[in-house]
Amino acid sequence: MSKFYSSISISSRTIEITVLSAENLKSNRRSIKKNAFAVVRSNVGNDFRTTVIDTDGGSNPKWNDKLVLDLPVQAPALTVEVHCKTTTGNRLVGTATVPVSDFFGGYVPENYLQFLSYRLRDQRGDSNGIINLSVRTKVPPAPVYSCSAASASSSAATVVGVPLSVGKNIFSGVVTGLPV
Amino acid sequence: MGGCFSDIKGGKQGIGGTPQRPIEEAGGGPNDAVDLFYRSHGLHSLFTPLELSLVGSNLRDRDITSKSDPIAVVFAQKNDGKLEELGRTEVLLNTLNPVWINKITVAYQFEMVQKIIFHLYDVDTKYHNIPVKTLNLKDQDFLGEASCFLSEIVTKQSRSLTLNLHSKNRPGVSTNLGTLTVHAEETVASRSVVDVVFRCSKLENKELFSKSDPFLRISRIIESGGSVPICKTEVVDNNLNPIWKRLSLSMHQFGSKDNPLIIECFDFNSSGNHVLMGKLQKSVAQLEQLHKEKTGANFVLPSSNRAQEKVLKGQLFVDHFNEKKQFSFLDYISSGYELNFMVAVDFTGSNGDPRRPDSLHYIDPYGRLNSYQQAIREVGEVIQFYDSDKHFPAWGFGGRKPDGTVSHCFNLSGIETEFEVAGVEGIMAAYASALHNVSLAGPTLFGQVVDRAAQIASQSLSHHGNKYFVLLIITDGVLTDLQETKEALVKASDLPLSVLIVGVGNADFSQMEILDADKGIRLESSTGRVATRDIVQFVPMREVQRGQISVVQALLEELPGQFLSHVRSRDLKPCNFGGAQTFA
Repeated sequence: MSKFYSSISISSRTIEITVLSAENLKSNRRSIKKNAFAVVRSNVGNDFRTTVIDTDGGSNPKWNDKLVLDLPVQAPALTVEVHCKTTTGNRLVGTATVPVSDFFGGYVPENYLQFLSYRLRDQRGDSNGIINLSVRTKVPPAPVYSCSAASASSSAATVVGVPLSVGKNIFSGVVTGLPV
Repeated sequence: MGGCFSDIKGGKQGIGGTPQRPIEEAGGGPNDAVDLFYRSHGLHSLFTPLELSLVGSNLRDRDITSKSDPIAVVFAQKNDGKLEELGRTEVLLNTLNPVWINKITVAYQFEMVQKIIFHLYDVDTKYHNIPVKTLNLKDQDFLGEASCFLSEIVTKQSRSLTLNLHSKNRPGVSTNLGTLTVHAEETVASRSVVDVVFRCSKLENKELFSKSDPFLRISRIIESGGSVPICKTEVVDNNLNPIWKRLSLSMHQFGSKDNPLIIECFDFNSSGNHVLMGKLQKSVAQLEQLHKEKTGANFVLPSSNRAQEKVLKGQLFVDHFNEKKQFSFLDYISSGYELNFMVAVDFTGSNGDPRRPDSLHYIDPYGRLNSYQQAIREVGEVIQFYDSDKHFPAWGFGGRKPDGTVSHCFNLSGIETEFEVAGVEGIMAAYASALHNVSLAGPTLFGQVVDRAAQIASQSLSHHGNKYFVLLIITDGVLTDLQETKEALVKASDLPLSVLIVGVGNADFSQMEILDADKGIRLESSTGRVATRDIVQFVPMREVQRGQISVVQALLEELPGQFLSHVRSRDLKPCNFGGAQTFA
């Protein structure tokens, strides 16, 4: 199987989400008693993170749990769900959608800690409490450039590549292009 | 009618200490921003801040299967007889002899007669994890009322006064509703906060079929020899080696690090009769020592028979001890944190044609200031005091510019590239000239002005923001699109920005009260985002003019709290404090 490194810059950003707390959670119109936890999904692939369970927070659980997620550049939003762990399994209490534009892309600098809150809605779409988060976008690592082959280049600059494995031939060492 | 079931969960919560959720409003009590303003004008501190500790005894029982869950609410009686709430204690579970931990702060003005009214209620609704201020008093059972003058308490040597409770409107009749003891102490503003984690080992088992449910109560010894509780931990169920959640104690609660504190360990009982498992006396300095040496201190049980106390096997450990500083609004301002004010003036048609004398924008040739000019001048005096560079971005909204377009955010100066004016006089001059160049139009929309202010605030974050922005919107009234304004405010709610809306004229400003979310209902945008914090405050000028509140008081009331909620949540410190300033 051939494997090429293509020249891309940033494919994903690292997001630190601290799920702080939730307020006023109800299930079947009654306040939930305990064992709430939150799940944060990137909506791309099946990537998600889960917080600890708050065993005695009741309908106003507090987690203060920091989750780290890699979010692809093209992802428009994160989904945050609150579940309640019961003896018969997990019950979905409410969901909120966090658009990436709410914490990234404005005038606010990267690495700045932002506090955001969202309305949770249950499966029928009725409002069911509020979730409080803090978000920080980590500055992405410097891009890694590579060239796919020492192709003829009319530029006078030296091109440095990284090792490739093409088919069964494995090049050991670095391919360097020379000006023609 | 009294409810049958008390909120046991509510009774098990930790009480007291300083708030740990960073976004909670950090205000309350005398306003040091107002105080500084008056002092700078030669008016010295007109009041002494006092803390009232309340203890009830022999209260009436209102619950059927258990005892009442009492709360005390303290009011000040104003000149017109109306009651203004000063504060509430916490709710105590199942007791007719409550010793409340939460104190009520009162500003004692010695040259004024201040009547204080206490109302006691039995709380029937659930209060677990709900902020006490949102409890609706009308839903609770009234237990009794008492009143006194603040000077009566302060002039007693013990600073304590015991009052008989009576039912409403029948002060002379004694109806055996119990008594309320009020103790007053001066608050000492202080910066140190100590975070402690307590743990115990080998506690005694006080229950038959399970283990004890222990919690700690910490009290401070007062001059008269008694003790005043300052906080209690939450209850840990069924555990003889419990470890409790982190407790935050501020120095003004425990006095000094050498003041002896009484730490009592109780076994929680839903009946309200908590059994004392042991107690000990340690100062904060001694607790720090326990932490350093990683040793425990033994509890003792006071014995009535013998003179000797019984030393128990149970020990108290301090697993975590961290002293940190919590700064006040003035600490930040005086260190170099800048407040930057911005002004937006309403140019909508509802103000009335400026050429007519009954218009809110009428410029009187004899020099009498119109409502807007008065507002700009009065408000300006206050903000000029706090603003660092005295250059104010100034905009108008809802007006038709000379080119014929209606703008909801145009520069008051009239110059496209100049959005700032110099000083309050600059605002007045720009306003007067704008009235000649801009005609009143409409509708009344704040969204664009808030967005513009938010843009300036967020841009400052990249430059190691030590700036906090305050947008003043002077308007005659009713918003055309409340939702549009909510969207802009929600988007701006996490920025270093406060929005002060000043209402002139006689319109119905009830919409503004929705925006100034004082009842705890957070603003929500149509996309599902909820405001991170309350950044709005509303001031109706007609109440100022009637002398009921002062401009200074009204404007600056929520500002320190909103400012502190922003800096504390990010753990930002005053500028020159210990090294590099990192902005979160």
